[in-house]
Amino acid sequence: MSRKPRPLVLVLQYIFLGLMTLFALYPIWFVILASGRVGSRLYTLNLLGMFIPTEWTFENYQVMLSGQPYPFLTWMRNSLFVAGFTTIACLLIATSAAFAFSRFRFYGREFGLILLLAIQAFPGVLSLVPVAQLLTAFKLYASHWGLILAYTIGNLVFTTWLMKGYFDTIPIEIEEAAMIDGCGPIQSFLLVGLPMAKPALAVTALLAFMGGWGEYVFASVLIPAPDVRRTLMVGMYSLANTQSIPWGYFAAGAVMTIIPVILIYTYFQKYLVGGLTLGGVKG
Amino acid sequence: MPSPFFFRRRSFSAASLPICASADQFCPAHTQWEVLMVSWSGRRKALTILAFIGPTLLGILALNIYPIIYNVYISFTNRNQYHPNPDCTVFLTSVIEPGCWPMFRSNAGMGQPYVIQEPLFANYDSLIGKLFTGEGVLALVKLALLFAPLIIAGQVNKRLDRQLTRPVSSFWVWIGGLAITVLLAWILNVGGAMKTLEASSDFFIVVFRTLLFVVITVPLNYIFGLILALVLNGDYIKGRTFFRAIMIIPWAASTMFIIMSLIWQFFFREQGTINQILRAFGGEGLAWLANGNYALAAIILVNLWFSFPFCFNIILGALQSIPADQYEAADVDGATYWQQLVNITLPLLRPSVMPAIVLSAIGGGGFQMFGTVWAMTGGGPSQGAGVPGATELVMVYAYKQVFQYNAYAKAGAFAVIIFIFLFIATLYSMRISRITQGAYE
Repeated sequence: MSRKPRPLVLVLQYIFLGLMTLFALYPIWFVILASGRVGSRLYTLNLLGMFIPTEWTFENYQVMLSGQPYPFLTWMRNSLFVAGFTTIACLLIATSAAFAFSRFRFYGREFGLILLLAIQAFPGVLSLVPVAQLLTAFKLYASHWGLILAYTIGNLVFTTWLMKGYFDTIPIEIEEAAMIDGCGPIQSFLLVGLPMAKPALAVTALLAFMGGWGEYVFASVLIPAPDVRRTLMVGMYSLANTQSIPWGYFAAGAVMTIIPVILIYTYFQKYLVGGLTLGGVKG
Repeated sequence: MPSPFFFRRRSFSAASLPICASADQFCPAHTQWEVLMVSWSGRRKALTILAFIGPTLLGILALNIYPIIYNVYISFTNRNQYHPNPDCTVFLTSVIEPGCWPMFRSNAGMGQPYVIQEPLFANYDSLIGKLFTGEGVLALVKLALLFAPLIIAGQVNKRLDRQLTRPVSSFWVWIGGLAITVLLAWILNVGGAMKTLEASSDFFIVVFRTLLFVVITVPLNYIFGLILALVLNGDYIKGRTFFRAIMIIPWAASTMFIIMSLIWQFFFREQGTINQILRAFGGEGLAWLANGNYALAAIILVNLWFSFPFCFNIILGALQSIPADQYEAADVDGATYWQQLVNITLPLLRPSVMPAIVLSAIGGGGFQMFGTVWAMTGGGPSQGAGVPGATELVMVYAYKQVFQYNAYAKAGAFAVIIFIFLFIATLYSMRISRITQGAYE
């Protein structure tokens, strides 16, 4: 469908693209502007300052990075810790499960796969109370490890399906060739099949990491303890829920939280789109 | 397909497995693979498989299945802020409450223990009981009747499609169906029926509002994604790579929805960005989030910002897999752009985009929306004491019941009803979208 349209239609298309670009970019651009503003106002009184930087200071960043009054870097370290271990655990567990679901035939396989999807229908918010009680019993409440456990299992369903979908697209003959050359089924998978699933692994790792990095509800309930143990999202939310909101600090923190993620996503874009469409979501 | 039994103890030989005997039989590659694995004994195979899926199984059992069972149990009790503690002498409670297990037994709190409700379904009754009185059922039937013209329109369209030339286009059939719906709504006094239902239960208000939200937000996201994908799929657009890179930014930011929702909330504040722009042009500012309808519209807009890049990327991927010769053939036949869109593009997009649409309708971007609403409005603005707020969608309502009112039992009953609904929706969607194709092969 690449016939060149009439000039008027072409202009309309560019206008639409321009508007969508503005829509997509403005909130981010707004945070960046606000993070460089003096004082704690998120808005400025002149309209021009809403769109271009009329003033700029790094004061907000300095305050956020200094750790006083908000332990921003500690929050960030907590989030990195939680998200990092979630990613590792998720990759290990989901890959092995996806491998079994994709390569073995066993009694209860279909049931298991459908069960995985169907239990996702249970509202996550409402499993919080029993999960919290269970973690309390195991002395994991208010600990990062408990949160990692909850995140890992919360991500398992999606990641298992994604990886299983991708493994299914890898031709089995390649592994068979390795088996003829003397590998066992598991060895051949680890040495031959797994390296071919790199895009799916990258996407899974990215999504698992982002799931841990950006999650709010579980983190806010399972880590009720003092400021220093909070994750980034809970910390930032608490910052925006105080009496007089320090918007400048909030914006600076938001920029430092969001920009790295945007860069990672841009870098992984190719994998992300390809991995998602090849794996779970495609019919 | 024939599958070797999981728990078969004796080792099996290739001869005992009726695998792909004839060439014309459908024979997936995996089945051949099993021939190579026959040297494994049944027990060894079972243990290997268990080792692979064991951690997943255990985790799902502990943190997914257990909470479901717990909620089902608790929904039959009167656990709330006045009766928060387990009574470990009751057998079922002592089984299901971790605090009652011997190895974890701690001194229970000071509050009253909760007991099983008398009658058993009291929580369910208080949630949806009034919907099943004579008046409620009548109102529900009236609502259901509204869908009849639309269903009939769909069937008529299907029948007309089978004819060589259609007497009327499908568009007009739909318009006709809609017109009859509106007429029917007026005749049946559906407004009155709605008032009855809203007065009778919180449950109805919350679920109806959530469904309304889903029906607006999901198509909106995908329409924007579709238009964007159609425009950016044309190779005459300059800077396509640039635009595609831009469109990934909200997607990346959507992983930190709580922060971005707070920023968006600022735009809609009384002293926020939108009002400032309005004032600069001499307009009047509005307290957007203090008005129920505007607040819901604001949430839909924010959800559009979060979701359209995903829809765009999914649709673009599907568009690029449509072979070009389809369009060339249509060009030869003199089809216009719109005819090509309706007769080639959309039908070919359907199989790959439909699962994504269904999943986002059921999931966190649709029916189970929580974070964005929580950060933007917290479920408000208030509609009066004891009534759900104007943007209190299903998940927000449940969260508030648990964490603000400590109404565990009521929330449990609510969760169970929602779960049954979503469970059926999930199974049905798997059937229509066949995302489980791999499981059935």
